[in-house]
Amino acid sequence: MDLQKINVKFFAADTNGVRLEDFIQIFNSWVQASDGAYYDIADYSHVQAGPGTLVVAHEANISIDCAGSRLGFLYNRKQPLAGTNQEKLATIFKATLENCRKLEEEPGLDGKLRFLGGEALVVINDRLLAPNSEETFVAVRPEIELLARRLYGSAEYTLERDPDARKRFNVFLRTSVSLDTRALLKNLGDA
Amino acid sequence: MSQSTGWKEKLADKMPPELAREIDIFETQIELRKQGKIDERVFAETRLRRGVYGQRYDNGQRHDGLKVQKLKLPSGGLTKGPETVWDAPGMLRIKIPFGGLNAEQMEVLADLSEEYADGISHVTTRQDIQYHFVHIDDTPSLMRRLAAVGITTREACGNVVRNVTACSLAGVCHDETFDVTPYAMACSKFLLGHPDTQDFGRKFKVAFSGCGQHPCGLTSMHDMGAIARKKIIDGVERRGFEFYIGGGLGAVPYRAQLFEEFLPEEELLPTAQAIARVYARLGEKRNRARARIKFLIANLGIDEFRKLVLEERQKLTPDSRWTDFLARVHEPTESPLKAGTSLNGSERPEGFGAWYATNVYHQKQPGYVVATVTLPMGDITADQFRDLAQVARRFVKDTSRTTVEQNIVLRWVSEADLPQLYGELKAIGLGEPNAGTIVDVTACPGTDTCKLGIASSRGLARELRSRLSEKSFEMDAAVKDLRIKVSGCFNSCGQHHIADLGFYGISRNINGYTVPHFQVLLGGKFKDNAGAYGLPVAAVPSKRIPEVVTRVTDRYLKGREKGESFQEFIARLGKKEVKAMLEDLTRVPPHNVDPSYYSDWGDPREFTLNDMGVGECAGEVVSQTQFSLAASERELFEAQIYFDAGALKKALLTAYHAMIQAAQGLVKTQNYDISNDEEAILKEFRERFCDTQVFYDKFQGSNFADYLFRARENLNTEDAVAKEFALRRLQEAQLFIDAAHSCYNKLQAQNATTRAAAVNLPAAGPA
Repeated sequence: MDLQKINVKFFAADTNGVRLEDFIQIFNSWVQASDGAYYDIADYSHVQAGPGTLVVAHEANISIDCAGSRLGFLYNRKQPLAGTNQEKLATIFKATLENCRKLEEEPGLDGKLRFLGGEALVVINDRLLAPNSEETFVAVRPEIELLARRLYGSAEYTLERDPDARKRFNVFLRTSVSLDTRALLKNLGDA
Repeated sequence: MSQSTGWKEKLADKMPPELAREIDIFETQIELRKQGKIDERVFAETRLRRGVYGQRYDNGQRHDGLKVQKLKLPSGGLTKGPETVWDAPGMLRIKIPFGGLNAEQMEVLADLSEEYADGISHVTTRQDIQYHFVHIDDTPSLMRRLAAVGITTREACGNVVRNVTACSLAGVCHDETFDVTPYAMACSKFLLGHPDTQDFGRKFKVAFSGCGQHPCGLTSMHDMGAIARKKIIDGVERRGFEFYIGGGLGAVPYRAQLFEEFLPEEELLPTAQAIARVYARLGEKRNRARARIKFLIANLGIDEFRKLVLEERQKLTPDSRWTDFLARVHEPTESPLKAGTSLNGSERPEGFGAWYATNVYHQKQPGYVVATVTLPMGDITADQFRDLAQVARRFVKDTSRTTVEQNIVLRWVSEADLPQLYGELKAIGLGEPNAGTIVDVTACPGTDTCKLGIASSRGLARELRSRLSEKSFEMDAAVKDLRIKVSGCFNSCGQHHIADLGFYGISRNINGYTVPHFQVLLGGKFKDNAGAYGLPVAAVPSKRIPEVVTRVTDRYLKGREKGESFQEFIARLGKKEVKAMLEDLTRVPPHNVDPSYYSDWGDPREFTLNDMGVGECAGEVVSQTQFSLAASERELFEAQIYFDAGALKKALLTAYHAMIQAAQGLVKTQNYDISNDEEAILKEFRERFCDTQVFYDKFQGSNFADYLFRARENLNTEDAVAKEFALRRLQEAQLFIDAAHSCYNKLQAQNATTRAAAVNLPAAGPA
């Protein structure tokens, strides 16, 4: 299976004092610095458990996402990526984590936002390519396990899938070891 | 990017064949546009007629608050319309006739919103669903997946008949004369793709209402509006419609005029067809600002227009579809899932009372209610939409509908189920009360995504919703029952004219700065099918609009007389007094004192009008000949594919059909009603274009025309066709189509010269 349209979400550790509206200002400054790579910002703060605040681009959308009533940073790759599945997963994870780290360091948030390094959600946003089935899981599992090894080293981890066939293919990747975004990026880079 | 081939194969058995074929054609048109073989204007109108709309910044640039950024769109110079870059995200509008949705459709809509858009399905003020940030390459896949559940995007945009709307309470309303659903459905099917609705200068909107007094149908603001009526004729009760024509909002709002007090049901569709023919023939085509049918009727007068329509009606060839559907209009269109049981003393979840007070309507059928699912500004997430489908399955059959107030209703809910239903809606974030109240603000997309948006209608609506919802529990019923509607510009997609408090986006220049404002309109009437339009009273800076709402509603509460409606109150106060009441709110502090006035709601950028683009609401005026010529190009492209695949005989046949299409297009310039009969097309083409040497090349003489007639003869050749022979015929077909384009261009140039000469003619003096 040639994995494409990979989405990765890292969840916020604590949402106290973080308001969705704050991200409009932050993302606007990102847009200003993007030299045309980011097209627009969409504000869905009025819907519950929705896309939150979204930055739209050609290659990938990024957002402070509230789906599942869990605030997190979502990287939604739209354009096809070249390379092996492992290379593609690593590319998406790196892009996601770099954005997470950037948000953690964002002066406007006063350090109020931290992401949980020990949990990530992987979604394949293409029901034709990857229906949410056991068969897809069997095909994708080795790739995610390989990535988990790179992220977590020798630490134990679990993979869990929401089997609801109506949903997109999804895997929750979890470890009990405490890791922050810097450590994960370092692990990915060193691999 | 697109995997349409995959969906095409996977859904082949689920799509209605005609819909599948249309989508194949659209996909080919996309390919041809990429190859530069379809003119960008023709392609723009083609895609609009498939619901594929432009979106803000699709000209490839955006003001980021500091400077204009050129967006990184990799498609190079490829465009999907004038000043519309190929790779720029766009909007897809999906027609939902009379708002009717079943659970399977909800699930597919949810899936598509997260796979191809931004995870949101947006319910519009005309019961459509819209996706934003969609790539055009994905649209064939989207359309196939929609087609597989019986939904089309065809003619959702462009100069055609748009979504046919109807009361969301049709069939269950206490005050309706009869259920208009089957009529709306029949009208929608009949007019969709009808040859007589393909040559309008602008869009054409149709609405049905079961009664005159309620707002659900909004017939008065539609190009064509039908209100259910019954009449005793020769001792027999007959169904029909109080029939209106020529309404519309926009910059110049018109109330529809009475066309017929009682139009018998069997005359509904032929009259609609006759109206379409008169509008296509006489409606303005060049001046887009005056091309809606309301202007034609204003120019002709309703009596003259009616006379022309009735004359046209007599000329129509009878069509069995006019009356076939009538055999079933008395059958129930829906049935309940459960027995209707009244709400008893069962335990009620927290918040139920407030929700019940505003979101529940008791049907005329005892024991059943309509439950309104409040969608903030018409938005529903993919997860919510999927979950709502499951909720709908548990409580009702396929009886859900979108509403013109951007909500969704579940009809035929057993009243006893309400506490459980509310609990389940609340669990998925859809248990918000205040449907149809002042809190339930309606808004068009405005500057969020619309190219024409001036001010942030959604930003303002979000702010008003938030403030009003905090006060809703203590709000007086007289205020709570008011409606607020917001448009991002004067075009009125948010229907600001028919709200008690309406706002539309404008700008004002203050000391060299452009400041977002809203024009305030008061006293519009949502009831009585959009019974009156509001009066503009003042231009107020965007950031002070919440104060306008507070001040006006407070004044109404304190100053109204017993039983006085808001409209009556505003009329009694008078425009001068209302303006004076808001005067201080119109002032804008200098930029260095309060810069917040200089940006819009929910947008930190300093306000600018630089991002406005050319709207596509008006579509492109593309003649039927241009469409025929584009279709002939597409067929020739398909012929080439057959040729490459070795299906030479099929390639020849398809190339011939391409030439017939082109010839038919040319004949349409002189005989608009030319049939699709091949013999008739050939005969008229020969007489009108060959015998007259209109289709004649200075150097090639009649050679190009001869290719057509020779191609016809070649169809009778033996099955074994030599490759070289077939290739030559395909080349000749291309030459013929090129010549047809040249001929059409020549005719257009001649027409322009004739028009110019007519304008410059000296006025006739006295004899």
